[in-house]
Amino acid sequence: MCLKVALRYLLLFGAAAALRCAAQLDPWEFEVYPYSTTPRGVAEFETDNAAVVDGHAAGGQGTASGTLHSQGMWYNSYEVTYGLTDRIEAALYLNMAVPEGGGLQWAGDKIRLRGRLLDQETLPVDVGWYLELEWHKTPQYDDAVRELEFRPILEKDFGRLSIVANPKFEKVLAGTGHDQGVEFGYVAGLHYRWARSLSPGLEFYGGAGLIDRAEPAGEQQHYVFPVVWGELPRGIEYNFGIGCGLTRGSDHLIVKFNLELERFVGAILRASPERGWLF
Amino acid sequence: MTNTGINEKIFEIRFENHQFSPQTLMVPANTPLKVVVVNSSRERIEFESFSLNREKVVEPGESVTVKLPALRAGSYDFFDDFHQDVPEGAIVAK
Repeated sequence: MCLKVALRYLLLFGAAAALRCAAQLDPWEFEVYPYSTTPRGVAEFETDNAAVVDGHAAGGQGTASGTLHSQGMWYNSYEVTYGLTDRIEAALYLNMAVPEGGGLQWAGDKIRLRGRLLDQETLPVDVGWYLELEWHKTPQYDDAVRELEFRPILEKDFGRLSIVANPKFEKVLAGTGHDQGVEFGYVAGLHYRWARSLSPGLEFYGGAGLIDRAEPAGEQQHYVFPVVWGELPRGIEYNFGIGCGLTRGSDHLIVKFNLELERFVGAILRASPERGWLF
Repeated sequence: MTNTGINEKIFEIRFENHQFSPQTLMVPANTPLKVVVVNSSRERIEFESFSLNREKVVEPGESVTVKLPALRAGSYDFFDDFHQDVPEGAIVAK
């Protein structure tokens, strides 16, 4: 009897742990954040899309953090970002999804602030920050109701080559995993500025689990995306890439396509001081 | 051109009459630079350089300073991202 109860708890714990595996990776936003922010008074309208071409057939595996499986999933988000000051931007997200065989449905929302410290070339590495609050439709798309995420942003340019790293630290505030510690993931990119209309890049996304209890290597998610990016007529910017999962815990093939458009809509705050470091 | 005395040279690009002046800015290669972008027009501009990875909004009558690392010899674009009809300029490092 005791063995049965123990096995049942073990299975429940295992299922919960499996659902948390994908948490450090945000499939609604395969995007590397650079040091520079949206200019003051400028609004940026963006849609990020990722289609899982070859994924997993069970929920809680690959990019799926909820009960729906990742195979055939289309992650679709809409984002509005506004440059509050010359160094800080604010953004609102609407996350939608089309699961395999289903229709377009709401999956969650996010709000975030992002900023850059000092001016470019002041420090040996340009440093920025990112703070996000996210909530999900549970249990279909995530088992965590609310999450808080912080990323330092690090960028170094070598001529036309930019190297960017966004280590991610995520804490579940409500829902499964709220009593656990901080999870670690990463976003990174190498982007070469070849031509305004078409440039190559390589992007990396992944998650390792809890900081103090990393998942086994094979169950972690790691992706590499060769990308092309640039500007289309009328100032529309794009980023297209094909992502390959590097572990069995990852989805095997993901196609991403992001579009964004910037327009000046009016500044509500005055210009940041030239010698300022935060605002 | 101004020399700040710490091996950093300062140059100026002015925006007026819907164009940048000079259109081609000659700078020394392999020397850290500051470019002061002065907006003498009544239009708001976004000074941007794709090859140098820089973008800054400049309000009418105001100026901003753009720090640049030591550049290799070559030509680097700049343009006004708010007005696509403004002729593109170049910073040429020699």
